[in-house]
Amino acid sequence: MKKTVDVSIPLGPVHPCFKEPARVKCETKGELVLNAEVELGYMKKGIERIMRGRPWQEVMFLAERVCGICSVIHNMVFIEALEKMSSIGVPDRAAYMRVIVNELDRMQSHILANFSYCYTIEHETLAMYLLDIRERVMDELERITGARVTCAYIVPGGVRFDLRNEDAAHLRAGLDIIEREITRYMKMFEGGPLIALRSRGVGNLSRESALEAHAVGPTARASGMPESDLRTRHPTYKKLEFVPVSRTEGDNFARIMIRFQEVLQSINLIRKCLDTLPDGPIRGGGIPGGGEIAYSGEAPRGELSYYLKTDDAGRILDISIQTPSIMNIEACCHYMLKGVASIADVPSTFVSADPCIACTER
Amino acid sequence: MTLLQSFKNLVRSKSIHVAYVDVGSCNGCDIEVLACLAPRYDIEQYGIYVHNNPREADILLVIGAFTPGWEEKLLGLWEKIPDPKVAIAIGNCPISGCVFDRPHSLIDPPVSKHIPIAAQIPGCPPRPTEILKAVLSLAPTVFEDFERRTQ
Repeated sequence: MKKTVDVSIPLGPVHPCFKEPARVKCETKGELVLNAEVELGYMKKGIERIMRGRPWQEVMFLAERVCGICSVIHNMVFIEALEKMSSIGVPDRAAYMRVIVNELDRMQSHILANFSYCYTIEHETLAMYLLDIRERVMDELERITGARVTCAYIVPGGVRFDLRNEDAAHLRAGLDIIEREITRYMKMFEGGPLIALRSRGVGNLSRESALEAHAVGPTARASGMPESDLRTRHPTYKKLEFVPVSRTEGDNFARIMIRFQEVLQSINLIRKCLDTLPDGPIRGGGIPGGGEIAYSGEAPRGELSYYLKTDDAGRILDISIQTPSIMNIEACCHYMLKGVASIADVPSTFVSADPCIACTER
Repeated sequence: MTLLQSFKNLVRSKSIHVAYVDVGSCNGCDIEVLACLAPRYDIEQYGIYVHNNPREADILLVIGAFTPGWEEKLLGLWEKIPDPKVAIAIGNCPISGCVFDRPHSLIDPPVSKHIPIAAQIPGCPPRPTEILKAVLSLAPTVFEDFERRTQ
């Protein structure tokens, strides 16, 4: 009988498939992955330590730079925490504008995640299609907020710029194109025999394991946990009658499909917002004071929580951020990667959980 | 300069391999480099091929303020790249540390302390077109008269 030697194969930190530095150590028996471990520590900047002792006006911009991909939600959760703490009201128009910008940000993040997955499984055609349509979303984001990535659009008591009528018309026209194209790409992904073979049944995460690993966001919703979507608790989303989507397969295919579905859902949410957008002021004013609060919101990758403590002058005394990726990375290396049939599936499974190392380590 | 040499210069400037390394950024510049791949900017039409393998790279794009995790690794990575090679710093972070360069942070900017940097692109983050322009402006000089320089 041939002896099979267990080998520990490290992937990373610089790897053609990973956008960011992380090292995945896989213990293998032949091609079968028995165990996986993620080694982090290449991106630790100590943002929370810098934030302490600074006025909220500065921390607002630091919070945005916790993660460059989902910068709008970091801005939104931090500002909404301050608003809730000091009971500052937000005009209706501004509340809807926040949802529009947040959903645009979610769309570009989900499309980018699906792009990386398709790029990792070497289906470059679909990857390039997705990256092309992402540029259109970035255009809309730039038209409204004035910047592509770090826009600092949301301020206490409102938003920074108003939505002009021509921008709204441009946004509607853009959404039509994006919806048409995304539906087409979704069919390509769903029906393509090669992509489906490469994705179905790989990296399984059952509902029980997802609960055990505290998986959040699209990763949890692909394993049949629609209740993990925190948008259902947000007052503006409640007005829009938001219902989260979910799938039950829990494999790579489901995780990519759920992101496509959420992009289409975001398009509908933005349309609803544009239809019901009331006239009125966009900034109500108000200065954050002292207090202590824990507040969470739904980032593109899952639940994002901020714990804040400020003094009367609005200086941050204590801050703690919990980002979604750390739970998804845990779920990925302890449950999904276990029993993956081939080492070639490890990068694609890791990317399908959409890990964001910059927010994980901060 | 011989005719052969000028021909070599021309041809080599149209075939550049790019690797990128993230030494502690917020991901913003990272996705702007990825956006250069998009059909709208299409970095590959200029003969520039972006991948992440330092062993066959000519240009290294350095993103992010320098974190302690990269203390010995970045120099090792830089030495793995075959000559001729240049490094481009993308964004404010590798130049000055941007918003992270505050008391008590763990970072150690600028990156030029650790590896030689040939060009810098300021911005938080810079636009894909700016990244493209910088890579294109450096592309002819990377291989220029390589044989004569190494003699």
